Amino acid sequence: MSDESVAAALRSGASLVVIEAPGGCGKTHQGAQYAADAAEIIESRILILTHTHAACDVFAARTASSRTRVEIRTLDSLIGQIASAYHGRLDLPADVSAWSRTNEDGYNRVAIKVAHLLDKKPLIASALARRYPLIICDEHQDATAAQDQIILALHKAGVYLRIFADPMQRIFGGRNATAIAAEIKRWTDLKEQANEFEELDTPHRWANTNPALGAWVLTARATLRDGGQVDLRGALPNGLRVIRADNVARAPGQYQLAAQHRTPLTQLMRPLNSVLVVAAHNTTVSSLRAFFNRSIPIWEGHTREALDGLCNGLRIHNGNPLEIGKIAVDFVSGVATGFSPTGYSRLLLDEIEQGCTKRRTKKPAILQSLGRIILEQPDHQGVGRFLATLRALTKDDEAFAAIKIDHSREYNDAIQLGRYASPDEGLAEIARRRAHSRAAIPSKAVSTIHKAKGLEFPHVVVAACDRQHFSDTKAARAKLYVALSRATESLTLLVSHTHPTPLLHI
Amino acid sequence: MGEEKVVEAKPAVPMILRLRIERYRGLESFNWLPDPHVNVIIGGGDNGKTTILDAVGLLLSPANSVVISDADYWKRAPEGEFIIEAVLKLPPDTGINEQKKPSWPWEWDGNKPVVPNPDDEETDRKEEVYVVRVRGTPDCDLAYEICQPNGEFDHFSVSVRRKIGLVKLGGDDRNDRDLRLIQGSALDRLLSDKSLRAKLAKEIGEKNVEEKLGDSSKKKLSDLDTQFGKQALPINLGLGLVGGQGFSLNALIGLTAEKHDVRLPLSSWGSGTRRLAALEIASSNQNEQPITIVDEVERGLEPYRQRVLVKELMAAPTQAFITTHSVAAIKAATSASIWYLSGERKIGKLADATSPHMMKDPEAFLSRIAIVAEGATEVGFVKFLILKAVSSTPLEYGIWVTDGGGNDPTLQLLESLAKSGLKFSGFADDEGRAPERWATLKTALGGLLLRWPKGCLEENVIEHVADNDLEKFIADPDGDSGERLRTLALRLKIEEKSYAAILAAAGSPENVRKLIIAAATGSVPAGTPEDQKKALKSHGKTWFKTVGGGFELGSKMLAFGIWPTLEGQLLPFVNAIRQSVDLPVIAELPDE
Repeated sequence: MSDESVAAALRSGASLVVIEAPGGCGKTHQGAQYAADAAEIIESRILILTHTHAACDVFAARTASSRTRVEIRTLDSLIGQIASAYHGRLDLPADVSAWSRTNEDGYNRVAIKVAHLLDKKPLIASALARRYPLIICDEHQDATAAQDQIILALHKAGVYLRIFADPMQRIFGGRNATAIAAEIKRWTDLKEQANEFEELDTPHRWANTNPALGAWVLTARATLRDGGQVDLRGALPNGLRVIRADNVARAPGQYQLAAQHRTPLTQLMRPLNSVLVVAAHNTTVSSLRAFFNRSIPIWEGHTREALDGLCNGLRIHNGNPLEIGKIAVDFVSGVATGFSPTGYSRLLLDEIEQGCTKRRTKKPAILQSLGRIILEQPDHQGVGRFLATLRALTKDDEAFAAIKIDHSREYNDAIQLGRYASPDEGLAEIARRRAHSRAAIPSKAVSTIHKAKGLEFPHVVVAACDRQHFSDTKAARAKLYVALSRATESLTLLVSHTHPTPLLHI
Repeated sequence: MGEEKVVEAKPAVPMILRLRIERYRGLESFNWLPDPHVNVIIGGGDNGKTTILDAVGLLLSPANSVVISDADYWKRAPEGEFIIEAVLKLPPDTGINEQKKPSWPWEWDGNKPVVPNPDDEETDRKEEVYVVRVRGTPDCDLAYEICQPNGEFDHFSVSVRRKIGLVKLGGDDRNDRDLRLIQGSALDRLLSDKSLRAKLAKEIGEKNVEEKLGDSSKKKLSDLDTQFGKQALPINLGLGLVGGQGFSLNALIGLTAEKHDVRLPLSSWGSGTRRLAALEIASSNQNEQPITIVDEVERGLEPYRQRVLVKELMAAPTQAFITTHSVAAIKAATSASIWYLSGERKIGKLADATSPHMMKDPEAFLSRIAIVAEGATEVGFVKFLILKAVSSTPLEYGIWVTDGGGNDPTLQLLESLAKSGLKFSGFADDEGRAPERWATLKTALGGLLLRWPKGCLEENVIEHVADNDLEKFIADPDGDSGERLRTLALRLKIEEKSYAAILAAAGSPENVRKLIIAAATGSVPAGTPEDQKKALKSHGKTWFKTVGGGFELGSKMLAFGIWPTLEGQLLPFVNAIRQSVDLPVIAELPDE
């Protein structure tokens, strides 16, 4: 197992090569170099399949010299293309990508249909195999079962596969134990099926910053993978710090530290120009934003779940003021804090229901005027105006100052929706623009571990290393590893005294 | 013929499984499922055989520069667009899957392309096919398109068309593109030297052509140079070979061969040699399995070389489309599928049942209308009828009478011809067998099928001979009655062979008539000793069981005034034949 053996395996005649690729060990370099080399030798296309547009860009930059031979795209776009070609047989409309975007679990449902199609109709897989005789799969641990099935159907049709995956970076989400077990089995099956299996084990990412930290992260990864406890006793590498700190917040989902625990963290962070604070849960991240006095923005990543939900609702309930009002409330609650039922939303919805006719003064009058916007125009444009007005109020009106917009980009996207003829059209255009003008990552950010996947920061703080956020499950182990491996220079863990995570040994 | 097996054993070759033509030239709507190997199309002139071949040629054209005109559109109406669409089986090396945009496969269900349905019940793997088309637009431009299963169209690139390969031996005498280095020609594909053009352009460009000019011409050029200078135009004029748009140096380069120590372009040889040469170039290119189209295989070739050409096409694994009017070519096309294109632009395959007949009398399949007569008598009788009632020069009208070889083979032949859509006519007896099949056939052929309601031709004519005419009727065209009277005497078991003796022995004219019918049909009465049966049977030949006999029977029908009684049946038949060759219907027999 070395960079050389991985390179050799990739270049071997084996039809299925699987590379276990921990983050920071040169996976993209290996993949891109291999693609460029292969492009010199074989005459056909080489396809690199990623899971994100960001990864596409990275590969594109590294294979620029062989651009004509190397095609780089997301797995979802390939699946969408197959589905479009046969949409009639799959009960899908001609514009499959719009359908995927605007339907719940749309991408996965399309993938399931396409997997079924390729399974039953091998001639389609064969045609694709002739088009793409060599496919390099990036971050294959992120593939869903259906996506995995599609890749293997292509392999069966003759495609040579080079698969890079870090099973420790799987995000299992809120899935149940059976689903997680199936995910794990998929990986072991793939490994067994492979003609060649190799592992990258040189921590290149840390070579110029903190090699000792890199080595420690790789060891921690192995420990977490193999079911062990990461040992924080004894000598730790330079740059790795543990701060013992308990969450003292009373409300569930909130995060707060006692002053004496907070001081060392403040001292640690003050001199840093660039730092990423991660936590396992969404609510904890929102709470951390308040914790840092809203001085550090939340990294919203490249997906917009609340916006997708808003769009869905707008489409379904177009013209129904009360339902549109509820959807708008749900959206604001999802991307901001403080928009509480008692303070705002219940009154707002009551006003809409009663037609905004009663005489009101002060804050209720303002809420009534907000309600009237939706009442008069119960669609995406009304909601856009409503959101813009509300945002202005949070800045200008004392009575609305309690509302804090955490996901300001997503909030802004929702306002922009109002400028398009339909919410779906707006969503498509906004998504397209987001994919092209990749938002710069702020120098300081708070993020969920999920959205931090793929990010690199010199300094990383992992908040809330407690039992609640990291229990002893495969999912939590993967999550902790993703958090640990984001840092290139220093890594700070906030570990609870009272309920420490069982994954760490203090 | 077991085609399926043959095809499987051969390497994958590009193949047209279905050809659909809409509004192209004289074909308004045409749909055809050709066979995987050699397809020979026969049929009358102007039926559209060449149009079919040209359509295939246009669809698979290795050039982008084909020019079309309004004459290529149905009724010369370009606004209606034309479409030539093919369902193709394409081997991977045609690069169909490596185009800029993906080409998505369809499934072939044996008759049409279907969008693969993951939920269908059938488990057998269907053939992977692609649907391509060329569309003549209202602006007389060509649009080459791949039809995707979702109803969208992508470009059907010239590179794929070239890789499918097309060898076209056209009917056009000047067409020798495959013997030249024109881009995409068979010669270009075989030699495939992509740098030649550039090298030539350089070399030729360096030649100073003006040095070869005569003195006075040189002066004119130099005067022009001066004029140019005065007008501030470019100066130092010279002459050189210059390329240009739509003008390729390579097109001037063709294959040459030595004859009497002189290098001559192959294009100056006879058209037959040129065609064989083009085919040879194509078949020596191992990298391709082109679809071959040959218009009028007989063109410029003696029968023996026609056979060579057809045999060569049959030996190749590739699909070929051939038209012909040649008996020799059809006889040589033993393993080919023969198709008939009717005047109604319907194409039908001649079933296997027709093959033996095709070999025996190929001209029947090349005529405008062929009449299958049941036996020799019927052939002679029909020939007489045609001469008398249709035309004194039937061959010029494309009317051909062919011997069906008996009642049952005639039925079988007519049935398979009816399926092919060929225009055929039948003339047969009712022998009481297979009434339903005959009835079906009658529905299909209408007036073109004549069957006596009862009995055979001889019976139907002879039973109407008047008592007084019997003696004269017996005499053959030379006035000789001896042989025929002998057959009657033998059947009466009397020695004397005079008509009087026979009439006396028979007892009545009615009995004589029956006796003649028995002898003419060669019937053998029950209880005849074994050793005499053969002799009795052979009596038919003495009477009318020859082509000449049938002809005689026909003329006697007129001479003895029997026509009026048979007119009700024969006149509709005659008129059906007349109509099929565009002659007006008649109400009675024309005078001489």
